[in-house]
Amino acid sequence: MSVGRIIKFSFQDIVRNMSLSFMTVLILILMLLSINTLIIVRVLTDQSIRSVKDQIDVSIYFDPTATDEKIQEVRDFVSSLPEVTEERYLSKDEVLAEFKETYSGNTEIIDSLDELGGNPLGSTLIVKTREPKDYQKIITALSVPEYESIIEAKTFGDTETAIDRIQTITVQVERFTYALTALFAIIAFVIIFNTIRVAIYTQRTEIGIKRLVGATNWFISGPYLVESFIFTVVSVVITSVIAWFTLKFLDPYVSVIFESEAILTNYFFSHILFLIGIQFGAVFLLTLFSSMLAMRRYLRT
Amino acid sequence: MLYYISLVYFFMITLKNVSKHYSHDSIGLNEVSLHIEPGEFVSVVGQSGTGKTTLVKMLIAEERPTAGSIEIGGWNITKISLHDIPLLRRQIGVIFQDFKLLPKRTVLENVSFALEVAGEKRKRINQIVPRVLEIVGLAHKVERYPHQLSGGEQQRVAIARSLVHRPKILVADEPTGNLDSINTQEIIEILKKINEFGTTIMLVTHNREIVNQLKRRVVVLHDGRVVSDEREGRYRI
Repeated sequence: MSVGRIIKFSFQDIVRNMSLSFMTVLILILMLLSINTLIIVRVLTDQSIRSVKDQIDVSIYFDPTATDEKIQEVRDFVSSLPEVTEERYLSKDEVLAEFKETYSGNTEIIDSLDELGGNPLGSTLIVKTREPKDYQKIITALSVPEYESIIEAKTFGDTETAIDRIQTITVQVERFTYALTALFAIIAFVIIFNTIRVAIYTQRTEIGIKRLVGATNWFISGPYLVESFIFTVVSVVITSVIAWFTLKFLDPYVSVIFESEAILTNYFFSHILFLIGIQFGAVFLLTLFSSMLAMRRYLRT
Repeated sequence: MLYYISLVYFFMITLKNVSKHYSHDSIGLNEVSLHIEPGEFVSVVGQSGTGKTTLVKMLIAEERPTAGSIEIGGWNITKISLHDIPLLRRQIGVIFQDFKLLPKRTVLENVSFALEVAGEKRKRINQIVPRVLEIVGLAHKVERYPHQLSGGEQQRVAIARSLVHRPKILVADEPTGNLDSINTQEIIEILKKINEFGTTIMLVTHNREIVNQLKRRVVVLHDGRVVSDEREGRYRI
């Protein structure tokens, strides 16, 4: 009923209460920018953690006398573990070549190697897992008598403390960002709720007059609901544009740190529907809820 | 104006032992019984706090009685539902001392609004509103906003707004309270004209001169009770 009139009234109200409309949209934009800042912080935190995790691995050094069959058996076993995301095998010759290259400037070591004759080094298997905590599982899985005889060493022992620390930091950072998100959400809720409440409070006399001339609750509240929708669309669009320009500006600086191109803008575009959708949904529901709650007291009689 | 006269229906107002208690020691109305015939012009007078505004609020269902019953045109509104309140208010025109105009809407929009909320078609609104504005003498100020009008003009806009529904009853709560004597006289003349067309008028006022000049029925309220009800009364408190 009278949807056209309700839409007309909502546009009239927006234009005729321009300063109030402007302030409402401005506050919505500021809140959305805060949330977007948090999203950027999360993306950068995730990227940092991922970079650190990528640099961790476990090297399994095989005994030089280990047979190819036995080595293959260990490789098959490691590959079958669900925690393993990547494995790189270096043959004895590749290990020797790498060793020589590493110590090419140290003639004593190279001479000693030549004196020994042949290749005293065993092959190596480098393993990466999904999470740092999974390394311990790999080590435990390989610590069986059957494999002990062919595995000379595992480097996990040296990096265990570092991995533990990264694990702890990862969990703490995640907890912190969740807490920060919750805090921002609460602040956003309170500010938006109060903004809408004040906007409706300033129009309480008008609401009363509309009721006196026989307007139904739907006819009175309809324009506010349409206004909520319009304010949400405008604020989300403006925030998205500002966010895009900001990310574009920040990307070159971020690329230097992570050695990867356009991390932020790539994230923005690959998640654009989700980001805009979730922000639109949250703000619209929040403004809608705030409007209904704020108006309820003026619509009782 | 003929279209207006022909569409006026005659309604009566009946209050039976109506009381309104806000709290133990705050009583708005105390067992008020009142019967107003269709087409009557009734002045309700009394000192401040005697229940005049409470009476008006009950007639438009802004407040509900604690006891008793209220009937308007055979419709018992004592326990009217929230859903039916807008329908009631479209049947009764109300004007107030503070005009209660929408400040961000023009004269035309303020008057049209009363029809728009009722779902009246645009074509019909365009026919009715200019004619009613002409009746109250504001046809030349349709694009003005309330703050661009004098008090008398604002009250005339309020009257026009209350008339567009072709109400059976017009309740005027201190309509001249904020006006000078010239504007007061103009507003009273308009109310008399509306009454001549058949609309029942209930005028709540403090103004002794108006009541004495009208020479119509006067109901006197005191401490929430009807203490006097005379057919051709005068202002006596």
